[in-house]
Amino acid sequence: MEQNVLLDLSHISKRYKTELALKDINITLHKGEILGFLGPSGAGKTTTIKIITGQLRQTSGEAKILDTDTVNIDESIYEKIGVVSDQSGIYEKMTVWQNLSMFAKIWRVPSVRVEEVLHQVELYEHRKKPAGKLSRGQTQRLVLARAVLHKPRILFLDEPTSGLDPSTAVSIHKMLLGLKEEGMSIFLTTHNMEEATKLCDRVALLYQGKIVECGSPKELCLKYNQNKKYHLLLNNQEEVVLEQSPQNIAKISEWMQRDEIQCIHSCEPTLEHVFLQVTGASLGLASM
Amino acid sequence: MDNINKLKAVAQIKWICISRNTAIMIGPLLTVAMVWMVKILYSINSGGDLSPILVSLILSLGISLNLCMDGFLMVGTAIAEEKEKHTLRVLMTSSVTGMQYFIGSILFPFVLMNIINIVVLVISGISMSQVSVVAFLLVSAVASLISCVMGMIVGLCAKNQMNANLISYPLMIVFMMIPMFGNLSEKLHHISGFLFTGVLTEMASGFAEGMSYTLKPLDIAVLIGELIISILVFLVLYRRNGYEKD
Repeated sequence: MEQNVLLDLSHISKRYKTELALKDINITLHKGEILGFLGPSGAGKTTTIKIITGQLRQTSGEAKILDTDTVNIDESIYEKIGVVSDQSGIYEKMTVWQNLSMFAKIWRVPSVRVEEVLHQVELYEHRKKPAGKLSRGQTQRLVLARAVLHKPRILFLDEPTSGLDPSTAVSIHKMLLGLKEEGMSIFLTTHNMEEATKLCDRVALLYQGKIVECGSPKELCLKYNQNKKYHLLLNNQEEVVLEQSPQNIAKISEWMQRDEIQCIHSCEPTLEHVFLQVTGASLGLASM
Repeated sequence: MDNINKLKAVAQIKWICISRNTAIMIGPLLTVAMVWMVKILYSINSGGDLSPILVSLILSLGISLNLCMDGFLMVGTAIAEEKEKHTLRVLMTSSVTGMQYFIGSILFPFVLMNIINIVVLVISGISMSQVSVVAFLLVSAVASLISCVMGMIVGLCAKNQMNANLISYPLMIVFMMIPMFGNLSEKLHHISGFLFTGVLTEMASGFAEGMSYTLKPLDIAVLIGELIISILVFLVLYRRNGYEKD
């Protein structure tokens, strides 16, 4: 395993009775990288995380995490990784502080780190509040705080902002980028393409258990930018979208010379369009 | 040292969760209250003087209630609550081992059950000079342990707290009702001798009636056998799905 490769999945497949949930998954995660696993519900994102973190055994293939085959890992792996799933719960009857301090005891983390993390997720003022009284956004921040309390080398996030309001999602994005800056590797599953574009260094598009495309968001968007188009706003407030052709280039050039253009944008496809192009299904409909 | 720290943390989490769950904590309180109330009622009916048979009935009631309600329900419901609130998987993905979770989960209920057994003994009206405390504590400890393991089995099988209660009821009918009414029917008394709850209530009844009680080979076989069977059932279920089925 390459020195800065922390996670290496090779030909991973998973079969549930008759259903093939994952088909020949190959992917690596490097140090300080955010890798996005994108796909609609039921694509196999959570199954992949469960296999990597030793909660589920693959049917075939090899998964290595921090140089150890996932078949051979035991509970001690959780001292080096953090896991947040969309169903990660909190102890509602305990205070915010207790929720973290109990896990600090398990991981032998000093209480000063609890304080630090609470400041980081902006929950320090709420530390004496029963966790059950937190809002959904605050609860998710507490879950995230618990997952990074022991400074894991890899953080697994399964739909971390699902169902959150935009401002909470933004604050979580900010936190994740901060953790990346600190050198933490993040394996993120989401069906939110905008989130993936914003956060991920690389994304893998997962559809019906198979990686159908992989690369940096920019790379993928440019790769599938086959019909180049330009969006223009003219001085008379007219909006036009023009395909790249000799006639349209001449038209744009003429408008430019006459200073008739207020703004101009190239129209690269979004990750959502890429997904649609590759799979023939949109993210919303793909799972149906 | 590391293992002890994790065990302490799990036990502390369980202590906070159980002690703040009114539905669970009503069990031990109800046991003590019932014993106390039944003792008063029996005293009134018998003109203030409790006969050994009445003390024996009070003890059977209190001990059976304690071992079943506190063991099956307290341990089982607490695990079911963790499943319901999605904290069990969090704990199991935080480097806590299955064994640490097992011991941490039963520690507080085990201690509480033994304390309640002693409280029941003291408030039942029995003369403490008639009680062989060491033997009672020993049998109480083994019976409490069996009850806790059975509670863990309930927790493994239950999906939520309501489900844990439902699973506990048939167990309670067998392990609580039979020893409780063993004094009223010869058949029930005979069956009670094959139950771990029956062994302890029989022992307490013996003390109440002023007999010098010694554990018979059958009692020892019942206690050890039921402990082994409950541990085996737990292990089989645990190996199949862990604490939570995917």
